[in-house]
Amino acid sequence: MSSCVLDKETFRHCCQLLLQLSEQLGDCWCWVPVQDSQDGYLRKTALRLVTIDSRPFGDQAESSSELGPHNSCLSGPDVQQNDQDQSALIGSANGDIIRGDIEDQDNKDNRDGDDGEDRICRMCEGSSQVLQYEYHILFSCSYRAPVLYFRVCTLEGRSLSLEEVWGSIHPNFRLCLQTSPFTMVTQQEHPLLGQAFFMLHPCRTEDFMRPLLQAAQDQNSPTGSCLITWAKLCLTRESCTYFQLCPREKSDMV
Amino acid sequence: MADDKDVLRDVWFGRIPTCFTLNQDEVTEREAEPYYLLLPRVSYLTLVTDKVKKHFLKVMKQEDMEEMWFEYEGTPLKWHYPIGVLFDLHASNTVLPWSITVHFKNFPDRDLLRCPSHSVIEAHFMSSIKEADALKHKSQVVNDMQKKDHKQLWMGLQNDKFDQFWAMNRKLMEYPTEEGGFRYIPFRIYQTMSDRPFIQKLFRPVSPEGNTHTLGSLLKEMYPAAIPNEGQQKRYQVVIHGIEPLLETPLQWLSEHLSHPDNFLHICIVPTPTD
Repeated sequence: MSSCVLDKETFRHCCQLLLQLSEQLGDCWCWVPVQDSQDGYLRKTALRLVTIDSRPFGDQAESSSELGPHNSCLSGPDVQQNDQDQSALIGSANGDIIRGDIEDQDNKDNRDGDDGEDRICRMCEGSSQVLQYEYHILFSCSYRAPVLYFRVCTLEGRSLSLEEVWGSIHPNFRLCLQTSPFTMVTQQEHPLLGQAFFMLHPCRTEDFMRPLLQAAQDQNSPTGSCLITWAKLCLTRESCTYFQLCPREKSDMV
Repeated sequence: MADDKDVLRDVWFGRIPTCFTLNQDEVTEREAEPYYLLLPRVSYLTLVTDKVKKHFLKVMKQEDMEEMWFEYEGTPLKWHYPIGVLFDLHASNTVLPWSITVHFKNFPDRDLLRCPSHSVIEAHFMSSIKEADALKHKSQVVNDMQKKDHKQLWMGLQNDKFDQFWAMNRKLMEYPTEEGGFRYIPFRIYQTMSDRPFIQKLFRPVSPEGNTHTLGSLLKEMYPAAIPNEGQQKRYQVVIHGIEPLLETPLQWLSEHLSHPDNFLHICIVPTPTD
């Protein structure tokens, strides 16, 4: 991995590229400079309408394997931060969640009738609310990799707990992380703001970055490809683990 | 001259006499007495204050007690910082005992990390050790250790066992002789004069020309205001474990001997008292 290790300057270039892509796609990443230095980080805030699975984490992990691959009944579609569309999107999102729940019930496998009903009831009971997600991408000089910090708050400003955040993550992704949750997503102090955020563990970032950086190396212009790959990484909703936590964009990424 | 190993012991066994007083807005069944405790500088608040919680449980109802948190003169104390760092940063140069206020309500969840169990402290501690080794040895030493070795480091800290801890930690303090030191020095510089919680950047213990970097050369690069100019009065104190090491001290030596158990050199810059 040595020939394509990220350093701070490369990270800054990656961010510029990501910002261009973000603008083309109508997304809202922005660069936040740190005073008195050339440092900075990427930031995006988004509102999401989410139904939180309020079961304890252990139960969530067990049952998530039984849910179908197409389900999204435990987290809702995203609300763009566009004032005009907001109320309309929230209205339709509510409808979609309810429809989605009922449709998915038919596709569940190996659940007896009672459990199925419990599931519907639990989801209806689960708090459905608009949450504010805030994502920061910083560069960790200790691990030479980008790190994702995020926090989730209610509109009243209450920060969500780790259990609640788990409850709002897509069940398939939750399944991938269930083996060692504390080493994947942990609460950390934001190194520039000093406030409580959740962070994706950098060691995993390295595991994840390695094949991508290696693939980028294989192309003619290693640095350039590395940048493009990394930028795509940030926006692609399919491949990267931590960015599955991002609100899904309406349009598919390149 | 004192043996270097004595320094390791002095650092490990440093204590701060502390007085815990219950926040007066808490609901109590009768008046709460303050609780006195000697806090280890190198440990963490939530690891060593079970007795404090038990003490106040005597005058409070369990249902009125949410997660315990601590505050000093209006500032919530970050449990994930070593105790000695919190004291040096916020209460240097004040009269002992250190007076901390205990809260069981209105947890400031924007500012403080949650600490529901000791395993969270362990995860945080091990994460610091791993990050420090990433800087010192590209993670080679910590990755070569087995899980039981990692556990030994944590148990050593948790149970205040100097020998048990250092039997394993000495491996993290070694380096190839030809290198002259670690790859990079794990350090954090704290100050309360600006919003930034700490400064942490890459810094080598030896310059490319082969010169030994000192505490002074680190500060010159990271916080030049801490170094007084010729003839100027010293505006700031540079404090590590409650003392002001000479600026000429080699950084590699400081990293090996004055790091915290998490393998980081925590440096506090505080305004010089004007009395």
